[in-house]
Amino acid sequence: MYVVALAAALVFQAAGQTPAAPPAAGRGGQPRTAPPARILSFTAQPSSIQPGQSVVLSWAAENPSGLTIAPDVGRVTARGSRQVSPSATTTYTLSVGGPNNTTVTSSVTVNVDGATPVAAKTSGEKKEARMPDGKPDLSGVYNFAGVRGAVAPPLKPGAEKFKIVRGPNDIRGTTTLGTDCKPLGIPQSFSTPYPFQIVQTPKLVVMIFEYPNAVRIIPTDGRPHPADPDPTWMGDSVAHWDGDTLVVDVVGFNDKTEVSGYMHTEDLHVVERYRKLENGSLQYDVTVEDPNVFTAPWVMPTRTFALRPELDKVDEFVCENAQDYEKLFGKK
Amino acid sequence: MRQRLIGFVAAVALLTPANPLFAHHSTTMYNMSNPTTVTGTVKRFEWTNPHAYIYLEVMDEQGKTVEWTIEMMSLNHLKGYGWSHTTVKPGDVISCTGGAARSGDPAMLSSIVKLADGRVIKS
Repeated sequence: MYVVALAAALVFQAAGQTPAAPPAAGRGGQPRTAPPARILSFTAQPSSIQPGQSVVLSWAAENPSGLTIAPDVGRVTARGSRQVSPSATTTYTLSVGGPNNTTVTSSVTVNVDGATPVAAKTSGEKKEARMPDGKPDLSGVYNFAGVRGAVAPPLKPGAEKFKIVRGPNDIRGTTTLGTDCKPLGIPQSFSTPYPFQIVQTPKLVVMIFEYPNAVRIIPTDGRPHPADPDPTWMGDSVAHWDGDTLVVDVVGFNDKTEVSGYMHTEDLHVVERYRKLENGSLQYDVTVEDPNVFTAPWVMPTRTFALRPELDKVDEFVCENAQDYEKLFGKK
Repeated sequence: MRQRLIGFVAAVALLTPANPLFAHHSTTMYNMSNPTTVTGTVKRFEWTNPHAYIYLEVMDEQGKTVEWTIEMMSLNHLKGYGWSHTTVKPGDVISCTGGAARSGDPAMLSSIVKLADGRVIKS
């Protein structure tokens, strides 16, 4: 077998810790630099229209730290297309951020026959979204956010077995108990590095976690929990509105998931508070209690799930090729 | 088993991205602190979550072809870097830079890929 051996055996990320950045400097103290951002293409098709017609803007960029198209479009993904209907001749500019605060741009002009050209303007943030009943609309795709600075309450006597002990060579990630892509439960699902999506209706909030395509369906019509909920990976959730804050109560968990370094029993009870911020992101407060494990409720630090306005949906997730790295686990 | 150092050059370090490397599993089985580069021909490209994979045919020093399993980030991250399901194709000659498996298996968690046309893209 062809073997790669490397001199040093340092691990930049020990299991059980928040993923860390690689060292800032390379060998010999040389600074590491990321590949430059570049625009592969930016087109408008067709480039001339009559008033009321549409054109499709298409673009492809690589290694961006952020992309925007102005006017009107706003933040976009690295590759994509968007239909626009300018009422007058308009120059669209794609701006792509790169390492070290560099920016590359490319522009296309859409000619609208018989209309006066308009100057480009930066598109503003979207206005606060509301449902027809006046409740905040939480719909959107959001980034995960790991727990930082959470200190668990003291364990009950005899509950030490619930603390997960991870050694320096533990192959498990910080949010998974194995490599088989099982659902992570609540609130652990928000800590794994994949986005999640909220779809809201007047009577339901649905959360779709990209990892591992786990779904929560949360009634918001004031109903109580079932009298004897089945134990499940994601629990049984019911919610009500406290002003503009969505309060979700979760019970009915199985005992197979982790809560920030601890296992729990089926008596796990989670209370979450979601509040939409002006910038579209979601503020998240959560309290976790398990009377069989902790001596007091665990109030976790507030965190924010950043809105991903450039994403319309989470991706498909099938753990079919997990076997490719599983074979490396447990080997030195 | 005789161990061998391949493709380790200081320049590799210059190409390692400074942004945090996230994965849904630990990266402890990969030696991320000393990047390695392997060059070969793409046999297969799997564009899927939880991680995309490239299976790369690499010729060793004895002229024997070894299939490397190149793990990359999730689609969410790769799309952010500008990848699509057509960024690499079977037959492309590419170079992958990242942490090789500590086990000695021909496997890597790649951070940077040099594509067939010379473009360098995070992975």
